[in-house]
Amino acid sequence: MNGPVDRRGDCEKERSDLAEVALGIASGRRRAEVLEHVEGCARCARELDELTKVGDTLLSFGPRNESPIGFELRLAQRLRNDAIGPRPSRAHRAGVWALAAVLIAVVGLGVGSLVRNHQPSPVSASSPALRVAALKAGGRGVGELMVSAGRPAWMFMTLEDASWSGLVTCEVVFADGHVETTGRFKLSGGYGAWGAPLRAPAGDVRKVRLITQSGSVYASAQLPA
Amino acid sequence: MENDESVPDDALLSGIAVGDEEAGLAFVRRYQRRLYGLALGIVGDVGDAEDVAQEAFIRIFRHAQVFDTRRGSVSTWALTITRNLAIDAIRLRRSVPTDPADPVFVDLMSNERPTDTVALASHDVAQARRVLATLPPEQRRAVVLAAVYGRTAEQIAQSESIPLGTAKGRIRLGMARLRTGVEIEDPL
Repeated sequence: MNGPVDRRGDCEKERSDLAEVALGIASGRRRAEVLEHVEGCARCARELDELTKVGDTLLSFGPRNESPIGFELRLAQRLRNDAIGPRPSRAHRAGVWALAAVLIAVVGLGVGSLVRNHQPSPVSASSPALRVAALKAGGRGVGELMVSAGRPAWMFMTLEDASWSGLVTCEVVFADGHVETTGRFKLSGGYGAWGAPLRAPAGDVRKVRLITQSGSVYASAQLPA
Repeated sequence: MENDESVPDDALLSGIAVGDEEAGLAFVRRYQRRLYGLALGIVGDVGDAEDVAQEAFIRIFRHAQVFDTRRGSVSTWALTITRNLAIDAIRLRRSVPTDPADPVFVDLMSNERPTDTVALASHDVAQARRVLATLPPEQRRAVVLAAVYGRTAEQIAQSESIPLGTAKGRIRLGMARLRTGVEIEDPL
């Protein structure tokens, strides 16, 4: 008769390499063995999680160095090649192409100054405004909305509300009164972060509403004119 | 936007995901010193470091849409991508990395008590820096070489001329002390 598997021996053996797995320096085979054990061991899973957070914190101590002259231009060229290549989706290609284009334009034009003093050149005389507003539910702050007049204009929001989870539809109200549905996303565990491009000028956004599946307004943010 | 540090990293990523050029440029300018610096610290070669840092940016842009802030901060994600690419580059070269020569490594190995920069850092980073400084030098060295510079236990054993078991033990004990000494908040 087969009884429950006693994995205590495994535990001691696998725990000895948890730190190396957490730091990403264990061999592929060893990593696979340890992770297989961790799948069925809550104690090791917790320890691995904590060690990974320590490792992530240590990584932030890493050195910082000025990149070589021309770095941005060469990156732009690689991004352009990446956008042309067969792997990415059409949406991705469009985004990466746009980034490549601006890097080439900005860095290309600024190459003279980069060579002279290696300082970043400005993108334009006036950078697009980023407007920030609180998302409120029943007068309670539940998150933050950012609307950027970039190219394209876009908005991004983060929500943290332990009292509510579920699917919401995002509606944007513009200055001329028209309302546009920009998409849907889910708050899971009371948390959600979501962004979308805007098809109208960012400066025209007056209000953003999050509507629940039952049709009621869960939260909204008001932007000044 | 590129010099506006008030725009959060995850908002910039959201802009990148929809193809906002200025968000992309702002992100590159915000992170290039960190990604390139980390890559250089690991691979030790200017050309290879540039390749690694650029590939890291390409991957970040490619996956900006699927980044989930619940799994950690943008900076940790970006640095981890860079570090893993740099480790792969070293493995591909099959070379034995030399000791990092950058001032950060020297500073982390110093027995001086960390002060000014730590005071400016977030709580968990400052706490980790303080606990790191209390580790025995050989443990601190092994942990930093492994965690920041991606050295394997085998490489540390070789460069320090110590048995493999000793190198593994230093990493394990150092990390255990950091784990118990640092109360790290969830990166949300």
